[in-house]
Amino acid sequence: MSIDHTYHLVICGSVVPDPLQSLEPVVTQGKPGLKNELMLPMVLDPFVNHSLNEAAKLREATKDTQVHLVAVGPKAKLQQLMMVLAQKTAFNLVAVDAPAGGFIDSHTVAAALAEAIKAIPGLDLQKTLVFGGWSSASRASGTTLQLVGEKLGITEQFFGVDRLTPAADGGFTVLERVEAGQHLETQVAGAPAVIGWATGELPELPNNPKIGMMNMAKIMPAIGKAKAVDLASAGFSVVDTALPAEKRQTRVVKDMPAAAVAAEIKEWIASGKAG
Amino acid sequence: MESILVIIDAEEDKPLSGQALETLGAAAALSAIVKKEISVGLVGSGDLSKVATALAGAAAKAFTFSDAALKDPGYARDAFAAAKLVKASGAAWVLAPASSRWSRALPGAAERCGGKVDTHITSFEEKGGKAAAGRWYYRQRIFGKILREQGPWFMTIETGSFPKAAVGVGAAPAVTPVAEALPASRSKVLGLRSLSGGKQTIKPDAELLLVAGAGWTKTQKDGVKHAKEAEGLILAFLEKYGASLGSSKAATDLAAEGGEALTFMTQLHQVGQTGASPRHAKGLATCCFGEEPHVVGWRFINERRAIDLNANCGWAQGKADVLYVADVFEVFKELAK
Amino acid sequence: MSDTSVERQSMEVDIACVGFGPAMGGFLTHLSRGLKAAEASGPIQSPTMPGAPPTVICYEKAEDLALGVSGVETEAKAIKSSFPDFDPASVPMTTWIKKEKTVYLMDPWGASRRPLLVRLADPILRLLGKKHSFTLPVNPPFLHKKGGIITALGQFNQWVAGQLMAEGAVQIWPSMAVEDLLLEKDAVTGVRLADQGVDKEGKPAEGFMPGMDIKAKLTVVGDGPIGSIGRKLNEKLGMPEGRHLWEWAVGMKFVVSLPDDCPLEEGTVIHTIGFPEPEIFGFFYVMPNKMASMGIFVPSWMQTPVRTSYRYLQYWMQHPYLWQYVKGGKVSSFGAKSLLESGIEGEPHLVGDGFARIGEGSGTTNILTNSGVDEAWASGRLLADAVLELLKSGQPFTRENLDKTYVASRRRSAIEKGTRKARHSRDGFRRGFLPGMVGMALAGFTGGLLYVPSREKAPHDMLIDLERYYRDRIPAAELRAMEAECLQKGGTLWEKILPRLGWPEVVFDGALLISHQDALLLGGKVQAVHGYRDHVLFDDPAACEACRTKSCVEICSGQAIARVEGRPVPAFDREKCVHCGACIWGCARGGRGDLAIDSNIAFLGVPGGLHSAEN
Repeated sequence: MSIDHTYHLVICGSVVPDPLQSLEPVVTQGKPGLKNELMLPMVLDPFVNHSLNEAAKLREATKDTQVHLVAVGPKAKLQQLMMVLAQKTAFNLVAVDAPAGGFIDSHTVAAALAEAIKAIPGLDLQKTLVFGGWSSASRASGTTLQLVGEKLGITEQFFGVDRLTPAADGGFTVLERVEAGQHLETQVAGAPAVIGWATGELPELPNNPKIGMMNMAKIMPAIGKAKAVDLASAGFSVVDTALPAEKRQTRVVKDMPAAAVAAEIKEWIASGKAG
Repeated sequence: MESILVIIDAEEDKPLSGQALETLGAAAALSAIVKKEISVGLVGSGDLSKVATALAGAAAKAFTFSDAALKDPGYARDAFAAAKLVKASGAAWVLAPASSRWSRALPGAAERCGGKVDTHITSFEEKGGKAAAGRWYYRQRIFGKILREQGPWFMTIETGSFPKAAVGVGAAPAVTPVAEALPASRSKVLGLRSLSGGKQTIKPDAELLLVAGAGWTKTQKDGVKHAKEAEGLILAFLEKYGASLGSSKAATDLAAEGGEALTFMTQLHQVGQTGASPRHAKGLATCCFGEEPHVVGWRFINERRAIDLNANCGWAQGKADVLYVADVFEVFKELAK
Repeated sequence: MSDTSVERQSMEVDIACVGFGPAMGGFLTHLSRGLKAAEASGPIQSPTMPGAPPTVICYEKAEDLALGVSGVETEAKAIKSSFPDFDPASVPMTTWIKKEKTVYLMDPWGASRRPLLVRLADPILRLLGKKHSFTLPVNPPFLHKKGGIITALGQFNQWVAGQLMAEGAVQIWPSMAVEDLLLEKDAVTGVRLADQGVDKEGKPAEGFMPGMDIKAKLTVVGDGPIGSIGRKLNEKLGMPEGRHLWEWAVGMKFVVSLPDDCPLEEGTVIHTIGFPEPEIFGFFYVMPNKMASMGIFVPSWMQTPVRTSYRYLQYWMQHPYLWQYVKGGKVSSFGAKSLLESGIEGEPHLVGDGFARIGEGSGTTNILTNSGVDEAWASGRLLADAVLELLKSGQPFTRENLDKTYVASRRRSAIEKGTRKARHSRDGFRRGFLPGMVGMALAGFTGGLLYVPSREKAPHDMLIDLERYYRDRIPAAELRAMEAECLQKGGTLWEKILPRLGWPEVVFDGALLISHQDALLLGGKVQAVHGYRDHVLFDDPAACEACRTKSCVEICSGQAIARVEGRPVPAFDREKCVHCGACIWGCARGGRGDLAIDSNIAFLGVPGGLHSAEN
């Protein structure tokens, strides 16, 4: 299906430590952070990564839709990340050279993102869909996109989105995750809107060497031009960061017949139930 | 006057959710530190003064914003209504349940009120005469406490973290309706949908969580895969014991890949680092291999048991109360009896 | 292999590079500098697109360029000459070498299978007051890496790549595997990238994208000793007369956060010999910030098919001499890699029409000095100089031209001087531990003139029957029963045999002693990217059926290859594969003549590997 409608897609995202790494909090010069933070492999925040897939799909389905990726992170990490990301789909990179970590205030991150978006040449906010992850793998607060949207004056916002279906008139419907594994379906008249993606439904985009080469020609200069932003937030601090200390004494049951195991589990399930 | 405002979605004639009462409980904990009065802000449809009356004892004042369009959640409308309530109440602290509705809208309300927002708060404690809000970072892997000097401070309260407030005793709060027209909306709620083919296997209120790992669909001891049989056994278990279903990342990925997999598994089932961290009284992990970062998926499960053929299963050692080293197919056949 | 019938996109570049390791780092660094330097004096032009600068693309199968075994000590002569102001502080986990020593570890448990003379050594040392170990009074000079560095190869690679990307003259694409060579008659004309969007068998699935053909004037192969493209070249061209790929080892390591009270100084290098088995050598490198990289090498000349590197690594670590330093610390990362230890004996055809080979897979490793990274870097630099010369003079990348430039400079190089001296230094090990040590010392002290000769043997020929290997320790009938049980119920032989020999149970403590699977996940993860085919295949089921020992299962560094109850062909789980490639040469069926690489296990080029912050 091809729709004769143009969106301006702006994906907001930051780098996060690969979620499968072991993480340990440390305090350096009074600031909370992670042990070996700059050595940890960084990835694009997983939900943002999904939104990149969705943006690529929406561009295919529509006409002249452009994709901008506004990425926050230390320059060196952004550069590393782009080596992988640039192979996925064509985008214009707007790099914001700033620390990326869970213990940073989402308000300063949102302000930096909103400023960067406003400065994108030729961007028509009335055609803009701001994409991003509905919650990061670092701060996991799920607040940044709302704040960005508000700063841009965009009040139609949707989060935990797993599906966006565009209509011929530029409108679209979205499915947002709600409780109990269900989705809320909402019809939207069209851009502007903020879409905070959950996992979506698309497979990972393949790596395409041609796209990579095309992207890279623009990406390296964009990283070179990245504006350094201080994300310090007055009056905000995260203290006493710690790993959970819990270690349970596990009783290991071996060589028990299946029926006996089942009986014990049944008894356990039934135990302590009210009524 | 500075106060603590608890924002709750409500409907005339409908009892408040447990999550709402927990948020009131959180307000009580915060109030004990900052020594301020608790108000409640009700957002919803119908005559909300009745709901306010039922909150006797838990709040001194109530502010209501009622509109038929607020029956369903929606960011634009909810953020608008919540901001109006905050302004009417003059609150310095604003709490709301970390439900899907308020997780979306509260940050918007905060921005409109010139406030600051933090989410998924699980504890309050006093630090240097001020309230520090505790929450998990890096998806339940690192705990930290937030201090903020600027307000109003908006916070969503994570479910299962505070005791429910006692309501219905004492004086009913004084009700102040906020009468404002909602702005014109560009969106319309069409209704709830289920993507998992109608089988409702995620049940947040269930007492027991069953975590099914990728081992269910791997080659079994007879050298063959038994994905269909595994599906039957799992569904029978969920039904018989009223359990909610979670899955490991590996199991969800298998389903997404279209390989031999449990067909009812969706991304929504995934627990752990890249999924949810549900809260249930009990959890039973089956065939979940030792993927350390995913084990955080059952951090908020109180009693934990696991069935695995590997005695060193990472989901179990040091993390579960009991590990049964056994063939899960055999045990589940027995459990189905 | 990739389907030849589907329509593929293609792209033309000037130089396609396969694998980003230290050799490619050296190549691209010097090529990039040369291209930049020429800009002022008249830019070097692309042979494919005259008027434009040459396109140079490097494909690496690992994500984030962090694939590799972390522990490296290197004299870094070539690296330092490339970066005269090199400051170890600019690369994480890197420091100058300050102290080096070699320690003989006595056997605390009496479980080790030591030859008689070595067995006698322990009581004598005890009489001399040595409790657990004996530090050699002098570190053999040929092992010295004075003025060198300890580094983490993954970190070093990332540092190099960062500089290259910022320069912009070359591009590196991680997470992109090369599956095949493009050939026209005998000339290499480029590479074919791996198909994406396929199922585990390689059949098109959702999002199918046939691997692109990258046509190149020159293909630079630096994908290491087990790289799929290097092996394909070897299969196609065979080895030059008298050369073979028969000496291997699997290197396995932990990165450990040392306890605060550990007295070892940053920059300390300890080599160990004698334990857990005499054949297994160990290394312990103290890095900055109280971190250490510590591990062992399990060689192909260790004759038992029961070569479990992981369990031996845990035994080694628990040796009282090492335990005193690590106790109270925590393992933070794990990794494994195959090392080609044939040295110059394993040098393949270095060049041909349209291709050149660099690095470990091209036979650069000095097996006497145990040095490979710096030599690999130097070989890359030599090729860069040759390529720049040919580009500048507008000459094509033919065998002849590459021969007279690159190969000629290799022959004159310090690498070659070193590897020639080292050529036979390890031959004695084929006769056993003691002849091996003597041979190495002889070669070391005479510049390679003297050594202990031995008949060359392929790795599978070094494996001997269980009954023979353990003849004085375990009755044959018992071994056969163990084998039968493994066949019937799955599992590994080492789990049965090692305790039987007196090796103690490893009690997991969650800090230093952890399960093999936890090790795979600690501090990293196995990259098993969806949408690619499984990369380990068992070619001939009949050969697996005939194989009693399943040495591939025993040696697997990630427990990715496992026996399945009652089935002759092992199962493969890519989510556990660390891409060490030990299964290739560890296969008991062995390969063709000069190649250890044509065994019953096909190991294809797909993205993946162990991805850890501290590699």
